[in-house]
Order: sequence, then structure tokens, then C-alpha cells
Amino acid sequence: MKKVTMLSCVDSDLCIGCKICEKVCPVLAIKVINKKAVVISDRCRGCSNCAERCPKYAIKMTKRMNPITIGIDVCDFDNEKIRDLCLKAHFNPEQILCYCVGTRADEVAAAILSGAKSPEEISLITGIRTGCTIECIQPLLRMIEAAGIELEPVPNGWQWYGTTVTAWDISENVKEKYNSRGFYFEEDKELLDKIVHIKTDSCEEGEIK
Amino acid sequence: MMRKPIIPIEPKESQYGVDPILVKKRVAEMKNMVSLELKDLFPDLPPVIYPGGDDAIENVRKASREALYKVDMSMIKSNHTVNVLASHHGFTLLGGIPYAELLKIVKDVIIERTGCRNIRLRAGVGMRFRETEEYIKRYGLDEHYQGHAIGIAPIDEGIAIETEVGTLYGLKKAYDADWIVHTHHTDVREVHFHRQVDKAVKPFGMSYARIETRSTYHQNLGPRAANFTARAIFESDFVQKKFAFAAFLNVGPHGMIDVDADNDLYAVNDRATFIGCQLYGKIMTLFGEIDECIAVLDFPCPVPYVFAAGVIYANFCGANGDLYDLNQSLPSYTWYTEAFYGKNGRPILDSIPDMNPAIKMCVHNYAWLGYPSAFFSKYIPTVVVGQEQSDLFDTDPLNQEYMDYAVVCKTTDAAMDFAYRTTNTDKVIIFDGAMGGINVSKSLAELLIEKAPLVSEKVDTQLLPKWLKQRGVDISILNKLVK
Repeated sequence: MKKVTMLSCVDSDLCIGCKICEKVCPVLAIKVINKKAVVISDRCRGCSNCAERCPKYAIKMTKRMNPITIGIDVCDFDNEKIRDLCLKAHFNPEQILCYCVGTRADEVAAAILSGAKSPEEISLITGIRTGCTIECIQPLLRMIEAAGIELEPVPNGWQWYGTTVTAWDISENVKEKYNSRGFYFEEDKELLDKIVHIKTDSCEEGEIK
Repeated sequence: MMRKPIIPIEPKESQYGVDPILVKKRVAEMKNMVSLELKDLFPDLPPVIYPGGDDAIENVRKASREALYKVDMSMIKSNHTVNVLASHHGFTLLGGIPYAELLKIVKDVIIERTGCRNIRLRAGVGMRFRETEEYIKRYGLDEHYQGHAIGIAPIDEGIAIETEVGTLYGLKKAYDADWIVHTHHTDVREVHFHRQVDKAVKPFGMSYARIETRSTYHQNLGPRAANFTARAIFESDFVQKKFAFAAFLNVGPHGMIDVDADNDLYAVNDRATFIGCQLYGKIMTLFGEIDECIAVLDFPCPVPYVFAAGVIYANFCGANGDLYDLNQSLPSYTWYTEAFYGKNGRPILDSIPDMNPAIKMCVHNYAWLGYPSAFFSKYIPTVVVGQEQSDLFDTDPLNQEYMDYAVVCKTTDAAMDFAYRTTNTDKVIIFDGAMGGINVSKSLAELLIEKAPLVSEKVDTQLLPKWLKQRGVDISILNKLVK
């Protein structure tokens, strides 16, 4: 669950229509129309990427008059399906994927089960990747991929490019070559596997996420 | 051995912190505070050139020049382009001036030795995307690089890099030159993340990298394999063809020792590993001996990064364990650890240690936003000084929950009074970046003075050999360090 308290606001006099804001928005909430950036207020999740990368300092973050709360109730979805999807992506359902918003794997799974098909849609629903927008991109992509959904980056966008290596993909050659330099590949994979398979109560009666 | 407090690094104007004028009092100024010089605690620490006398900055320049004149620059031709790559954290060390000077001298020496003038500064960041833009202006790097100095952020346009473990992604602007120069330092900072494994290589997986790569590090590989992302990128043909040399500020917890420049980054890395393990390892181990204390944050950088004697607050939160021991998979705090806390607020895995129980309370006198820090206020009682600072955190998309768990006191005096009364300890450690030493309360100073000799011996005889062996670093590196 995320309380969205901030909203991006464009100073049209300063905006040069360069579209960088469009390329870095994780929820596609800003678009350049007639050479000026326009914010879609009800989509903005307040991450401030647009403001932080605007070369002309034309975007400011402002306090929302009426903050909005976003999130998904995992109890509305089949617990087994949530668990299966998380396990397939090598996550414990209770594992936190987003360190800024606190979004857990089961919430992302629920968003996917609700029909979300892209990182942008899942971020919009759950709030994942609307803090730093950096560290949770891989878990997000892994969850979508585990659901069998084809990943398609936003055309011309810099939102994300693709999945990368995981602990389960490292070849024996690489392990052998670098183990002596302090990279504990196998031990870490075992640790992550152990976490994945610990049984937790993913949905408590009446819980509102 | 106890001295008067060291003047802390002053508050800095930044979009990530409150207006410096609102920082009315520093905790180091308060009653019963003293300082300890690290050289007094650990007499075997090597001499430093900064901080020092009036000629300290000139000595930084001189050391930079001397080191840079020893590396091979013959690959750089006068018609080539060079990107000098930098990272934000260097600017938080020792007030930032030594790192800024190194960056200036790198440019000057390349021109002198190669005739190449198309040299650009590309300064990477963490999560505060404008941070290095601020430093570039503050230290006059925009002028020195004649307008060719920019900050680069992990959400900027990327470039695919083919590696031994598949495609990873770097920042296009970091690599848009014929040659790159890796300009960094030996300060350990996030030992909980990199575990002093390949620390000198880390920026290739962080400040020069895209979000996909950074996320691989923090989510895909595990707590001790994480930094392989950096090595994978550095080892790629793409980077190897561009890599000219590395220039490092050799810093210890007590100051700047020297400059280390080399065409072989792994040679620098071995030397940095030794410094990280031995010099910083002693302070880190000493801090693990603190039985109870109030931790004070009083430095212009985000909550986990404020530091005392080279140890950041995030690492002090894990000082109840041995961060350097790779047999310990998860420290009390790291993102993998945080990820493994269940909905009941307890770790999913029983073996995950609690946050350092010696920290009875945290007094957040002055620290920045821009890093997800709610985990700290959730698990350590935290008092924030000033409503303005509290309000600022509430505007931060990375910290929407930080103030849900912290309380606010109007003044520094009130916050410290509250901490003393409720914790029943008068031991105070101040994370204010004091140069050359550490500001603490008298009671804590007494404890540190008593424990330091034992810690020093334990690190030298027991821990250091184990730590270096785990990292494949031959202890004979000592000989190479004695130049």
C-alpha cells in the first residue's frame, strides 16, 4: 500500500519538450503534447523522476491537495496461485521487493492475477517502483516473466531494457573461475532457495493491504 | 587521550536536506563530549596527508600528480575523447575537497602527458539523481572541465553490455568516449552490501550502471555474490577496450593516506581490500564492542551514510556481527535482510540477526533524505530534531514511512535529554564525519580506549588473515603497500 502525497507539476514556460520526463516515468503519467509536458494527475505516483531529470528544472514536486492511497488486497486472490507465481520467480510471497514502498511479492502476484501485464501497470496498481525506481525492477520483471507474459519495453523509453542474470543462471564455469575471489555464488543460491520455500501466512483473515 | 571535540563537517545546502540555517546546534558541541584521535586508538595506522596543516591540499595535489605520472597513458592520443568517471560518495569524504582536487588533477595530467583535450567529467550518483550536479558546482568542476562536467543517473539512457553472465546495462554517457578513467577511493562505506569483495570495481555495477544492473546486484544474486555484477561488466570486452587506468584516493578511517593510480584495477583492488579489511576492520570491530549507546546522526548525507571514523551508521547497525566474515550470510542490515522481514515484522529466517541491540536510541539531528530509511526508524527508536526536517522526509518518495515510526523533538537539547532519560545510558557516538577522529561522550571514550588494543591484536592475528583468505588476497600484499 502506498499513500501518494506528491504530484509533479510542469512549468510550461520552462519546458522545452525534450521528452526525457516521458522516458523516465515508471507509470507513464507524463506526456509531451504540442511540445510541452503534461502530467496525468491521477496516474502520477509521486516518484519525482521527471523532476530530477528535467534538464531545464521545469518540473517541481508539489503536495497533493487530496492524497490518494493505492494498493491491492491479496486476500481477494487465490492464495495458492499467488504462492505458485512467487515460487516460480524464486520469491517468498512475503518477501519485500520494493525497499521504498514496502511492496511484497504477493502484492505483485495479485496485480498480475488481476490482469496487469507490464511493470508500468503493476506500479500503477501497487506502488512498487515509485520510490527510488531503481532496485526493484528485476524482481518486477522476473514476476511478469514467471507468469508467462512477454516483456515489451516501452517504445523509445528508458523505463527498463530487460531481464538479467539471477543466482539460478550462473554457470559452473563462472562459479569455478571466481569463487576464490570471495563470490559465494552457490552458498547464496542455497540461502535464497531456503527463503523461497519457508511457509508463511500470506493472507490473514480480514487483512487489508 | 581524550581531546576537545573535532569540529564536524558543516551542514550543506542541498535539495536533499533541510536549509543549513535550521541546523541550530551540533551534538559535538554539547556537554560531556570529547574526541578521540584514531591514531591514538590504533597507533599503527599509517600517516595521512589530509587533514593536515596549511599545505594539506597542496600535498593532495602533489600526491595525485606523482601517482598519475607513473601510469601508462600512451593509449590516449591527442585526438581521442576521455571520460573521467566519478562517484558521489567521494565528495562526502573529508569535506569533499581531496576528491574534487584529484578529479581536477586527473584532467590536467592527461592533457600534459597526452595532448588530449577532449576530456569530460561524468559523475555518477546513487538514488539522489541531482547530487553530483550539486557537487560539480560546489567544487568548481564545471569550470575546470570547461562546461564538460555532468551528473549521470541510473535512469538515464542505457547501453547494453555483453558479459560472461549475459547482458547487463551501463549508462550510455559513462561510456561515450574512446577511453574511460575510473576515479574512485578506498573508503569502505557500504560493507553490508559489497562485503569488501571487489570494492574497487563496484562503481561499474553501481554509479556507472543502469537500474537493471543495480537491481541485479541488490535482488538477483544474493548478499555475497552481488558485487559480481560489477566484475562482469568490468571484464566485458566493451569496458576493457575503453579502460585506460584507475586513480584512487587512498583513504583510511582517519584521513587520506596517498593516491593510488594503476593501469591494473585488480592490483588497486587488492590494495584496497587490505585497507578496507585492516584499517576500517579495526574500527568496525571496535564499534562492535560498544555495549550500549545513543547514536547521533549529524552529517549532510542520507541516514544510513552518515559516518564516524569511516564507519557508516548502516554498518554500525550491523556491528553486532562481523560484516567482513563471508561465512555470515546476512548482516543485521542489508537490503537482502530487509527483504526477508515478513508481515509480522520479524525475519522470515530465524538466523537473521536483529539490528545492533547496543543502539538504544538514534537521535537524528541532521541527515538527508534520498535513501529508503524506514527500516531504521522501524527497528531503532528514532528522534528527529525539528518539524522542518520531519516534514521534508514526508515529501520524499523513498521515505513515506520514515516519520510513521520516528518522533519529533523541537531542539537538539530536548532530543538528547529525552534520549538520556529514556535509555539510561550516557554513552553517545556521533556520526558527524569528524576528520581524523571520532566525537563521543566521555563515558564511551573510556570504553573505546580500553578495548582498542585488544581489538587491534585480534584483527591483526585472527580476523585479518581469515578475511583476506576468504577474498583470495595474499597477505604478502603488505609488502607491495610499503612503497
